[in-house]
Amino acid sequence: MFWEVTLALLKGFGTAAELFGLTLVFALPLGLLIAFGSMSKWRPFRFLLNAKKKAEWKKRLAGFRPIKLIVDVIVWIIRGTPLMLQLMIIYFGPGLVWDNNIWGSSTGGRMTATVIAFVINYACYFSVIYRGGIEGVPQGQREAGEVLGMTRAQIFTKITFLQTVKRIVPPMSNEIITLVKDTSLARIIAVTELIKSSEPFMRINGLIWPLFYTGVFYLIFVGALTLLFNFIERKLSYFK
Amino acid sequence: MAVLEVQNIEKNFGKTRVLRDISFELEQGQTLAIIGSSGSGKTTLLRCLNFLEEPDGGRIVVNGETLFDAADPATRREKEVRKKRLHFGMVFQAFNLFPQYTALKNVMLASELLAKELPNYKANKKEILANIEREAQALLEKMGLADRASHYPHQLSGGQQQRVAIARAMALKPDIMCFDEPTSALDPELTGEVLRVIRGLAEQKTTMIIVTHEMAFARDVADQVIFMDDGVIVEHGPARQVIEDPQEERTQRFLARSREGGGSPSPVRG
Repeated sequence: MFWEVTLALLKGFGTAAELFGLTLVFALPLGLLIAFGSMSKWRPFRFLLNAKKKAEWKKRLAGFRPIKLIVDVIVWIIRGTPLMLQLMIIYFGPGLVWDNNIWGSSTGGRMTATVIAFVINYACYFSVIYRGGIEGVPQGQREAGEVLGMTRAQIFTKITFLQTVKRIVPPMSNEIITLVKDTSLARIIAVTELIKSSEPFMRINGLIWPLFYTGVFYLIFVGALTLLFNFIERKLSYFK
Repeated sequence: MAVLEVQNIEKNFGKTRVLRDISFELEQGQTLAIIGSSGSGKTTLLRCLNFLEEPDGGRIVVNGETLFDAADPATRREKEVRKKRLHFGMVFQAFNLFPQYTALKNVMLASELLAKELPNYKANKKEILANIEREAQALLEKMGLADRASHYPHQLSGGQQQRVAIARAMALKPDIMCFDEPTSALDPELTGEVLRVIRGLAEQKTTMIIVTHEMAFARDVADQVIFMDDGVIVEHGPARQVIEDPQEERTQRFLARSREGGGSPSPVRG
């Protein structure tokens, strides 16, 4: 029985790990893009300030940053609603609204929908961490690079990048560890992740220990990640 | 001939007029000290010279070349600003050393990056980089930091960090060195070692502009002193005269107040 459970859980773990990996691969870069959007200073109505008479509404409109606004609203919605809800809307939405279930009924379709929901959700969380890291580098660092004749690209790659990475490792590790456990939400649309793969043993065989056994999988995975993050933090501890 | 001519510089932050009609000249090898209370526009003036702020009016001429002219949009192009900046070296109040690099690498980094733009860089890479390192070592030695070359900024005292920052700015051999309250973030004990280094530079005829609250230092080291108040130059003259025998009432009041306060009014950005 033990081997039977182990095999089933390993399969479930594989699915969870795949979801975890794919989410990171897409959400990490997408999050950076969203971070840049939320820091966008583009003000299309700035020219209004050139007018001789500066009415109050003109000043307001001149300071209007549309990209930042749109991105901020999206991040608010995604962070303000449960991932489970987002997952259900993405998976069931097309079928219910347009009578067109684009995901099909296969395992692959369900997995794709799950990855998309997870990527959008996590990219929004990551974006806030990135923004904090980028804005946390003192302005003086950029200015020091500028007066030394460095280009913007050089300032980013040679000066601010590593300082940003150092700043974001601790909050990122938090978020990534949460992602490990959030993979269990995928069961809501019948993706057989770790916990769901242990359920038959509970319901059919009346066993409780397979549930604890899933906990062991999570603990080992998170333990390995913790070691990795500690290693990265140690690597970056040579400067302050 | 004047190395630096600053003509009618104006700068506004919104409705606040931070600099009004600032004009002065600086001769090769001379040291100019700018004094004045916080908020008088001293720091903004230095930042304008280093293209960290763009003036709203006026001209900046270095060695006869017009680097900035508010009336001529061609001089305001972002692309050329990079090269023009190199006429000026800048030392910040907060040092702003790059924390992830050693003292030596802080001094070398900009030179290394600029060297990549040389046409013969690929062929003579080894030689060029060895040269840069030799010069950086020599600069650190001059700052009394030969034994600190491989230290990271957080392992150095404030005074040592500021001396590394001076070496870093000198590495690009600027025409004019600018110091923005270089000792305001330092303990009194550490102030001395930085002032000694700057004094040494003055003796070697480095052209310098120093924004400072150290009146005795300005009097002894600078050739000229400018007193600024509320965005204008109130008084400009030989250092000893402005500090010991100021002609303008506002200068007299400021100096009297700064003597009461022990010579160093609060080190807030000015």
